[in-house]
Amino acid sequence: MNGETGKKEYSILIVDDEKAIRMMLLDYLEDTYHTESAETGEAALDLLGKRSFDLVISDINMPGMSGPELLARIRTLYPTTKTALITAYNVDEYIQAAKEFSITNIIPKTVPFNFAELDFIVRGLVTGDIFGLQRYLLEDGAVIEKIVVKSTADARKAQDHLIELFEQRFGTSGDMKLILDEIITNAIYHAPVHDDGTEKYREFADITLEPHEYIYIECGFDSEKYAVGITDCQGHLTKETVLYKIERQITGEGLLDDSGRGIHMSRLFADRMIINIDPHQKTEVILVNYFSNKYRGYKPLYINEL
Amino acid sequence: MNISMLIALFTGFVVATVLCLVVRKTGKVHHINAHDGEPPAAPVSEDAADLWVYLGKQELELVFDTIPEEICVIDKEYRVVRANRSFARTAGHPVKDVAGKVCYHLFGRRDACCDDCPARKTFKSGAPVLRQQLSVLREDRVHHYEISTYPVAGGNDGVYHVIEIRRDITDEKRMFEYLVRSEKFASIGNMTAGIAHEMNNPLSGISGNASNLLRLPQKYGLNEKGVSRVTAILNLATRATAIMTDLLHLSRRPEQLCILTDINELLTKTVNSLPVWGTQDVERIFTLAESLPEINCEPSKIQQVIVHLTTNAVQAIRERRQRDKSSERGRIAFSTKMENGLVKIAVVDNGCGIAEEHQSKIFDPFFSTKPTGEGTGLGLSVSNKLIEEQGGRLFFESANGLTMFTIELPFGQNNICQP
Repeated sequence: MNGETGKKEYSILIVDDEKAIRMMLLDYLEDTYHTESAETGEAALDLLGKRSFDLVISDINMPGMSGPELLARIRTLYPTTKTALITAYNVDEYIQAAKEFSITNIIPKTVPFNFAELDFIVRGLVTGDIFGLQRYLLEDGAVIEKIVVKSTADARKAQDHLIELFEQRFGTSGDMKLILDEIITNAIYHAPVHDDGTEKYREFADITLEPHEYIYIECGFDSEKYAVGITDCQGHLTKETVLYKIERQITGEGLLDDSGRGIHMSRLFADRMIINIDPHQKTEVILVNYFSNKYRGYKPLYINEL
Repeated sequence: MNISMLIALFTGFVVATVLCLVVRKTGKVHHINAHDGEPPAAPVSEDAADLWVYLGKQELELVFDTIPEEICVIDKEYRVVRANRSFARTAGHPVKDVAGKVCYHLFGRRDACCDDCPARKTFKSGAPVLRQQLSVLREDRVHHYEISTYPVAGGNDGVYHVIEIRRDITDEKRMFEYLVRSEKFASIGNMTAGIAHEMNNPLSGISGNASNLLRLPQKYGLNEKGVSRVTAILNLATRATAIMTDLLHLSRRPEQLCILTDINELLTKTVNSLPVWGTQDVERIFTLAESLPEINCEPSKIQQVIVHLTTNAVQAIRERRQRDKSSERGRIAFSTKMENGLVKIAVVDNGCGIAEEHQSKIFDPFFSTKPTGEGTGLGLSVSNKLIEEQGGRLFFESANGLTMFTIELPFGQNNICQP
């Protein structure tokens, strides 16, 4: 399980008490990365004491130290090591723990296991190269549209255009109409802020953004999914805010919150939602719908902040 | 009222009655109440005693016959000496005809005493048997009884008569079993959900490893035959997951998400967030009760109803304006108040009103006065159901150009969502 470290740029530690799951993840990742595995959190910390890893992927429920505890320890001891949880259970039940331990990536163990997704997420985490819709598409896929939005009128036009495109090309747009409306509205009205942090524009007003405040929308597809990426050039959204909002919606406390419903609903209605944040630079929200329902079920949590 | 208390109380009466009867038959009036130990204060003449006994008998017989429990007095040969109406009704004979008949003939249409007969025990031991359960097959149906037997002492002969009181607990028992069953069903549901969750981990391991084998068969030394077998494993794992997912859906109970909610805040926020205010010339007026208690409810459902009622009101105003060609300003008044242990939310509009012939139908599903294609006609029936789910009520009045819908929500004890 080692010896080729020189050739492989990044190293990954898998922690899971189930041998078959460790083998499954190692088998898949070992061709690209230097991989090692541990059966418990304690054993993982021992390994980390001997060498450094770029990423630790840990199961949540393990005898002894739990996954969230392990990752919290790793972040204190080795701040540069990236972390993610992996679970067969409902990810929503761990949002609170995620918030508490500041964990932003939870990978669901779907049946069949979604290796392509694991690939995108792992690559993003170890390289820090997270932006752009293209890198979330399979090799047979392509980005087919890039739209720049500079005003509310542009936004409406772009939404109508994309929905029509989905309907024509794929015969469905899922709940994209609703989601796009939420995410684009968020990007237009809530992203641009004054220096003191207050929002610049009032919701529902017809506005034209300043030249540096533009939004761009990408749309693409591959053999198993279609996807949209919406990027604002502000980067004010933080992972803490996203976790806070999602948790409030999941527990039902945030029903009357003035904001936060959009993110929650998008996560609920799209098959996948990935949020990428470059603080004070840009925020990208990627929404994915699969053509077949084979990966449906528990929704992951993917928030990357550089 | 506790039934066993009642029985205990009346057993006293019955014993007294029987003693009266026994005494009357033998013609010897002495001490009626053996517990007293004291003779009557004044000498009682034989006639007066007879009258007293006669009146007492009338009254006690009435009591005896009113008791819903089946009561009989039987002798050592299990012959019924006396029985009340309930007993006779079950036996299928008039009261006057049951005396002299054998208990087990009447009770279970049997040729012999029941196997576990409590009366037999009392005859033998002289002690009462309390609340023994006994099942009897009658008219092809098993009846469950709870039976108590009390001895009537007859001097040196030991137990002279036995008083048997029994209660048909068949329905009670069935209800109890139903409850147990539904409890059981609920726990099976929980268990299923638990199993489905637990199975997901091994299944993802099975299918993930199989996928790896299929992705690079040569790496694992897999030939064509091996590939086809592993494909079968992968397909079966996927199928097992599909079954688990279905089970999970089946066992899931409708989720209720109750939150202590400030109704005033819910009302104002919901109303103000509606997009209708910009486009229509409609005034909104809020009259909110101060210090309204927070209600434990599902705010999203109440919110849905408020949205629906407000949209309806705006449409009614638009319709009135068109009908009357009037420019009179539309007004919707929202108010909250606390009354008779209920929190009430009222929405009053000065729109077109609800025609009298429509008033009985507005909560019917699919009833709509709007043109086809506009609205589903389900809004009010859904609203009604949503409020009922919260343990509340939705009703309306429409007169003199004003229409008022009121949502009543209980709080505290009557609330469906106990904190």
